[in-house]
Amino acid sequence: METRDQKSCIEAGFLDNALVLIAVLDEKGRVISWNHAAETITGYSRDEVVGSANIWKHLYPDKEYRRGVTQKIADILKTKNYFENLETVIRTRSGDSHTILWNTKTILEAGMPRTIAVGMDVTTEREATLFRNSIIDNANVLIAVLDPKGTVQVWNKAAEVITGYSAGEVIGRHDIWKKIYPDTVYRRSVTQKISQVITEHNSFENIETTIHTKNGEERILSWNTRQIGTGGTLHEIAIGRDITDQRKAEEALVAYMTEMTMRLKQPVSIVSSTLLESAQLMKNGLLDKDETIMVFEGQARNAAQIEANIQEFQKAIVEKNKSIPEAYRKFLEG
Amino acid sequence: MPDYIDPHELEQKKIFLILASPGMIRQRNSDIIREISALGYHTVVITTNFPYSVLSKMYAQCSIPPGSVSFIDAVTRNSVGTAENIPGVVRYINNPANLTDMGIAVTEVLKEHSGQKVCIMYDSVSTMLIYLSSANISKFIHFVTNKLRLMDVSGVFLAVEKGLDPMLMTQLTTFVDNVVDTG
Repeated sequence: METRDQKSCIEAGFLDNALVLIAVLDEKGRVISWNHAAETITGYSRDEVVGSANIWKHLYPDKEYRRGVTQKIADILKTKNYFENLETVIRTRSGDSHTILWNTKTILEAGMPRTIAVGMDVTTEREATLFRNSIIDNANVLIAVLDPKGTVQVWNKAAEVITGYSAGEVIGRHDIWKKIYPDTVYRRSVTQKISQVITEHNSFENIETTIHTKNGEERILSWNTRQIGTGGTLHEIAIGRDITDQRKAEEALVAYMTEMTMRLKQPVSIVSSTLLESAQLMKNGLLDKDETIMVFEGQARNAAQIEANIQEFQKAIVEKNKSIPEAYRKFLEG
Repeated sequence: MPDYIDPHELEQKKIFLILASPGMIRQRNSDIIREISALGYHTVVITTNFPYSVLSKMYAQCSIPPGSVSFIDAVTRNSVGTAENIPGVVRYINNPANLTDMGIAVTEVLKEHSGQKVCIMYDSVSTMLIYLSSANISKFIHFVTNKLRLMDVSGVFLAVEKGLDPMLMTQLTTFVDNVVDTG
């Protein structure tokens, strides 16, 4: 049979070898026990901590922040004698900040109330989450994550900028698609297209749709999706790239090329016909010298202008849409 | 000889876009003026390719009465530098790209013929493409067709067939009442 001393030794062993910060406090918040992980995480040794409540001032040196944490704990303890997953940021002895997830339990030891505070150092996880969120938020593509019921879980900053709908208006709901595809027939056609592709491939790439933004503008998005597994359930991540400007530039370039083709082909035909007609008029003796000169000079001017148009066209092709005249671009934009 | 312009529609002051092949566009110009003149109309030809002096000789060859046609000539001054307007016969503008002067000339010529049976002929949309973008041509034709409708005057725009880009063609089609492809 296990003696009281043996039991005490085993408990001390557990306490010291635990990978989480464990502190046992008396009713006044004074530290009774401070394990090895607590020493490692905070940088404060057992000898410095046990017997006083001063450690909290060291861990929370900012008076305002400490007051906030104390208030939060007091609020929780008004309704129950423990708290779960309370997250605070402590300052270690070396001056580093660590994020600790606290859980507590109050027990009676020899009739005296004791609080066991267990703190898990989640600094690495939180930094990874922040980093992930930062990547998602700073991506210049719309990122939406949907749960299996289609409820939006993530709506990044680019999604807000592109659609005009804030994360607050979208997250936790599934009516964003009705807002960005207000036309029922179009929405149905998009849904059918997406369903068909997903049935065949579980994901889709480069499907283009036209969305309506909150302020009524139309934007063209190229969508890619993937299924991602989190906690045993499959989520859908939808990435939408705003290709409106690219499409407009392509359309403008095609329109400009069509325009320039017309502006070269037609005038060349006209110049050719005019010269042939003039030759016929000369044969018939209908053109005098001055008129002949005038006609030839006129056609030479036309030819020179056509040459200039060809050069402008070549430049536009080389520099792509940068050289499309502003007036024509505005004209194309209506 | 086929009729390209329906007399009834001309009476209703309609505006026409006449399409022809490059080799036939001059012939269509003469054919249509002869038709219009036979109906008692005076034609104001806006020419951007042949000078007035040459066109008038061509019309004379086609038995078109000289008094039934007057001109807004955008070619002659561009070649010889100066040329004096001949009231009731020809009004010169400096070059085909000067749409402001052309617009003023159209307005003034229409005022001169106020109360008469007049038809404006624009020869041609295709030649204008040498100097102007379709955007500017479209704006100008919109201006002229508005002016014609306000002054209750009919008009004919000549263009080479199958060469206008769909956007310009669509716009011209909306400005005019009838598109006639004469081949």
